[in-house]
Amino acid sequence: MRPLLMLTSAAIVAATPAMAEDLAFVSCPIVRDTKLVPCWLTEYRGELYYLGIQTDVSAEFNPPSLGHRILVEGRPNPDKPRICGGIVIESPAVSIMNAPADDCRTQLPSDERYQLPFEPPRPPGPSKGRLAYDYGPPPPPPKPPYQPRTFTVPYDFDGLVGFKTPRFLTPIYDYAQQIGAKRIEITGYRGAVRLSDGSLLSESEPLARQRAEQVAELLRGAGLRTASYDVKWKDAAEMGGPATRRVEVTVSPR
Amino acid sequence: MKQQWSRTGRIACAVVATAVTVAMFAARAAEPGARGEVAGHVPAQAEQAQKAPITPSASPRQFHWWSPGDARRFEPFTTYPDDVGDLGVLLDRGSLETKGHPFFESIGSNGRACVTCHQPENAMSISVPSIQERWRVTGGKDPLFAAVDGSNCPNLPQDDPASHSLLLERGLFRVFLPWPPKAADGSRIDPEFTLEVVRDPTGCNTHPEYGLNSPNPMVSVYRRPRVVANTKYTTHQGFGVGLFVGKTGMPSAQDPETGKPVAMNIMADARQPTLKTQAVEAAINHLQSPKPPTADQLAKIVDFESRVYVAQVARHGAGSLVEADGPPAFGPRNLLKEDAGVLGNNTTRFVFPMGDAWTTPQPDDVAEMRASIRRGHDVFFFRTFWIRDSMHLNTVGLGNPSKRTCATCHGMHMTAMDVANGWMDIGTTNLPWAKETPENPWTKEKPQMPLFRITCKAGVPAHPYLGRVFYTQDPGRGLISGKCNDVGTIVMQQFRGLAARPPYFSNGSAASIRELIDFYDRRYNIQYSEQEKLDLEHFLGSL
Repeated sequence: MRPLLMLTSAAIVAATPAMAEDLAFVSCPIVRDTKLVPCWLTEYRGELYYLGIQTDVSAEFNPPSLGHRILVEGRPNPDKPRICGGIVIESPAVSIMNAPADDCRTQLPSDERYQLPFEPPRPPGPSKGRLAYDYGPPPPPPKPPYQPRTFTVPYDFDGLVGFKTPRFLTPIYDYAQQIGAKRIEITGYRGAVRLSDGSLLSESEPLARQRAEQVAELLRGAGLRTASYDVKWKDAAEMGGPATRRVEVTVSPR
Repeated sequence: MKQQWSRTGRIACAVVATAVTVAMFAARAAEPGARGEVAGHVPAQAEQAQKAPITPSASPRQFHWWSPGDARRFEPFTTYPDDVGDLGVLLDRGSLETKGHPFFESIGSNGRACVTCHQPENAMSISVPSIQERWRVTGGKDPLFAAVDGSNCPNLPQDDPASHSLLLERGLFRVFLPWPPKAADGSRIDPEFTLEVVRDPTGCNTHPEYGLNSPNPMVSVYRRPRVVANTKYTTHQGFGVGLFVGKTGMPSAQDPETGKPVAMNIMADARQPTLKTQAVEAAINHLQSPKPPTADQLAKIVDFESRVYVAQVARHGAGSLVEADGPPAFGPRNLLKEDAGVLGNNTTRFVFPMGDAWTTPQPDDVAEMRASIRRGHDVFFFRTFWIRDSMHLNTVGLGNPSKRTCATCHGMHMTAMDVANGWMDIGTTNLPWAKETPENPWTKEKPQMPLFRITCKAGVPAHPYLGRVFYTQDPGRGLISGKCNDVGTIVMQQFRGLAARPPYFSNGSAASIRELIDFYDRRYNIQYSEQEKLDLEHFLGSL
């Protein structure tokens, strides 16, 4: 009876820092090898958290980079079994910080105790013939009378265009072509996040403008050259989570 | 021997032609987003190409060597011996009489033809042994050694082999590009980094007429000629080709005639979008043509380049690689037959499909080598290792490091290029991984390659793996895009006809396939066993 009580207490203690409450913190990423694909972890206030696994470019979770700190935003789920030794953070938003961090180099070997409890969508080598995740078919072409439509281009913290951006720019391009857009209104934003330790982390000041101007440049470069562009930005940082780091693009038929 | 006209007359012609050419290019480049045959960086190159001296040349016919104007027949299928067996060269749709054909004739002003640097026996590239043999046979008079880019710098004494050391020793031609870079429409790109010459062993980057501080500022880097064959794979419109570059999110280059995005896999820095625009630039730079080829000439060049396939067909110890029941990966006929633009990093299509070939008992004289080749395939396709700090691989959502295989990057079905936009930095030109000459009191060896200091400007993020200041022998794609993260990134090459065209990597830094394997082993701490290296060497040499 006594050992069981001790185990229960230990479980409660372990779960304490991970009560269902949003966390936002900056820390070092940790990669742990497994017999299958590596899993990515991070440590915060003495607790190990599981972020996700290596899959491929189609995944929502993209593993971070050793040698750089990360901003982690998400809600730990203490009710789920630990993975690779870490408490699971549900759908974490992980941003790689630009500054180099030579103290963030922890790579752990495969360990029998911390193997993945599931089959990953793809192995570490060749796939089985498809990407790990499917975005589904594109929406059907719009029918007249055409309406203005607003799209959002999301960013990682302090991020500009990257490998994920085409996923969001292509639908904008397609819609503009389909409706013969005459006007494209672009508004850039930057965000700020209140970290769990109470400090404030703001994206750099010129970012809202840089994002907006870059999106205009990318759309023009892709071939949307006949529409008129109205490029704006909001200098003041918006408080909130990952959704504040964005560009909004409204495509109008006139 | 070809008759050359007097140098004075040539210079006079060149001056007039330069003025006309530059004016013509300027007119085209003035239109924003202009669609034409000439990319934005070419007018500046044309100016330098026309300035470079032209020396009398001679290109006598030789057994396997194709000289300009040889008027030979390009057969539907030919084999050429190489160090490990035989290379097969296939011409789709029948033979070709090369007399008058612009790929085989000197259509510029320095006596070269396209075929000069794209020799069939060298898998439509050119090897160092062939270059050295050509120097021996012609005393350095072959137009292959033209001052413009077949020497370390055009100002050097052209009859001295030391002036051609990079070509003779590493198979490198000078590539000269305007700095700052020019966009496709000719407008100036404001680069994200500054570029400073730290070491200039060829003297070309600091030369007052040809260098960075000349009136026509130009960077000189030194690169291997790429394989002009199997081009349906380098120009496909399949997987990965889209409006935006999958690795960076930047707009893809477009075919100036159709406006469609292209795969950007033709050149080492992806600076030319199509075979046609590449031919224009090559004629102007390498052939020192005062004007672009005619539409008819371009059509014939592109047609020929679209018909040639090369691959190894036999290997010592393994016999024929292309028997009816042999591996479907091998030989030019399979390259002709298979689909282009297919991602092969999977167990449905494979990068190099081996099928069940050679899994049954083989004849004694070939059994061992065939088994080794199959094992080498498995090392290439299934052997995992940690890929780290490689720009445009570790930055595209796989994590850094990423546990993957060779086929992760070399994923295109049948060629092992990246399927699209295939520029990455694995450290072949960026320090600390690039091959450098040891500096110590006991060696007489001197550095061969230029060295540049790159400083990413304030206001742009530093390079994630190399920091704000780093060094490179060749900024690669960065010289075209002006992006800090593109510095040292090089479009990966196809794996075909490797045994026929050493050395390897864009800067010729791996003299043999084994050296190439050793580079990866060091770079990524793969810890290949000797057997794995040997098997991989056998496999790669069979492609």
